[in-house]
Amino acid sequence: MSVVNLKAEDVVVRLGGTLVVDGATFDLKAGELAVLIGPNGAGKTTLARALAGLIPAEGRIAIEGRSLASLTPRQRAQRIAYLPQGHVFHWPMAVAAIVALGRHPHADAFSGLSAADRAAVERALSATDTLTFAARAVTTLSGGERARVALARALASEAPILIADEPTVSLDPRHQLVVMELLARVAHTGAAVLAIVHDLTLAARFADRILVLERGRLNAQGAAREVLTPERIASVFGVEAEIIDSAVGAIPILRRPIV
Amino acid sequence: MQAKPQTTPLIIGLIASIVVLAILSLMVGPSGLSPRAALAGLLDGEGAPGLIVRSIRLPRTVLALLIGATFGLAGAALQGLLRNPLAEPALFGAPQAASVGASFVIAYGLSGATSFAVPLAGIVGALLSIGGLVAIAGRRASLTVTLLAGLALASFAGAATALILNLAPTPYAALEIAFWLLGSLEDRSVDHLIIATPFLLASWVLLALHAPAFRALTLGEDAAASLGVDIDRTRIMVVIAVALGVGAAVAVAGSIGFIGLVAPHLVRRRVGSDPARVCLPAALMGAALLLAADVAVRLIPTNPNATAIELKLGVVTALIGVPFFLMMIFRERQLLSGAPS
Repeated sequence: MSVVNLKAEDVVVRLGGTLVVDGATFDLKAGELAVLIGPNGAGKTTLARALAGLIPAEGRIAIEGRSLASLTPRQRAQRIAYLPQGHVFHWPMAVAAIVALGRHPHADAFSGLSAADRAAVERALSATDTLTFAARAVTTLSGGERARVALARALASEAPILIADEPTVSLDPRHQLVVMELLARVAHTGAAVLAIVHDLTLAARFADRILVLERGRLNAQGAAREVLTPERIASVFGVEAEIIDSAVGAIPILRRPIV
Repeated sequence: MQAKPQTTPLIIGLIASIVVLAILSLMVGPSGLSPRAALAGLLDGEGAPGLIVRSIRLPRTVLALLIGATFGLAGAALQGLLRNPLAEPALFGAPQAASVGASFVIAYGLSGATSFAVPLAGIVGALLSIGGLVAIAGRRASLTVTLLAGLALASFAGAATALILNLAPTPYAALEIAFWLLGSLEDRSVDHLIIATPFLLASWVLLALHAPAFRALTLGEDAAASLGVDIDRTRIMVVIAVALGVGAAVAVAGSIGFIGLVAPHLVRRRVGSDPARVCLPAALMGAALLLAADVAVRLIPTNPNATAIELKLGVVTALIGVPFFLMMIFRERQLLSGAPS
């Protein structure tokens, strides 16, 4: 049995009085890449933020057996790396300095980076293929390069849990595959990874487990082949689809929106 | 490519400029002293030079240093907190509130009783504005709410100062308030230093403690929070620290604009954009700028029959600061018009 890194039981999140996540129960296991899918407005980002401890949630979220709410912000940050959507960089800082921010939970804020910190930053840069522009100002990079730098920052903390909100958005096809392979590798070397992904083909190819969120409710979870059926794609996404067996596994092909 | 940060040479250069400017500040005034006489007066305190340097020019010089550093640091901190290069210390209304308190005391002649009265009233005004801001916006308020509440408080304080000026019992009181509002370090004594310094130092310590959070905030609030930064606490502590420091500074020296806005920009070209690394050089730059301005007001000749003997400090800093501000708006207008950054 694999180790459960994060256990969510009956998680309910309300934003400004609106019920956004309605009773989600699932585990994130070490060694597993879980992919969260669902239409716009289903509550995916809200659920991810609640899991990362950024917004209050009802129900129980436990990290390595301890309640998320009982952890200090620093303890929480050491255990969960969170990559928000949008890849925001407000100041034109050097890429290496941005990625080094991932070590913030581990480092004493007033001393420099340790040798271990520097090694982790280097690993994150090289894993995301961003080493070549480590010295450049992050604001001079293309959208795809920024997305990889943002991911490198999240990887640099080397936390046992990684939650990534749309890590493949704005990436070209090659880098979408690079990033998904990277997330799978991070998971298969021992972390529990949860990624929100819109592309069902990528989800089907790379997910060890797919979680489907629909109007705040977790309506299915399991292997891609069980979860991504034409019926479910039709009911959840309103899209007519067929599943094709290909060299890289069962892949949903989307035909047309159902009117 | 980003230029390699040159933080250490810049800091050394700034400290050297501050030392030179401080010596100049001890020399310059109605009775000019040679560098040797100024230093001798400072060290032995004997004779007229000793009296002039120790009890008149030294407090003034130290105040210019501390207040300039406070403005520079506060500006850098707010720009870091708000991730916005146009943020400046007057944003949350503390200096305006300090002006209300000081104006009130001047208007009703309470300042004759003790030289503590004006700065004390200014500090009380600034503290009330912090209390008001926290009460209105709430401890967990978003940045937008805090900014709006600060803006409202600043406008209200501006109106209150205008009202006091309007209702001033004598023309002399009105004139005194008007001049006080222009900012000056003329005739400031050790008493002013004693009353302001604890607040200025408290502000420095609080801001220094939260500086590392500014670096994480470059990734936005969610990512910074996920890195272990307590965003709500950082926001409220930085706002309080800025209000304490800038409020006390304004309470002692009157309104002095633009140092907080300009100083971080001047150092950013050298030290890079890391918002935590900008703080110390910005403080030193602020100290050097205000010291230079305070030396300048004593050197620039004015009409000997004019009501004010010296140019006012706030006038000089704004005259230099506003063109700089406009230039910055000009340069960053694309960014400011909402183009994606």
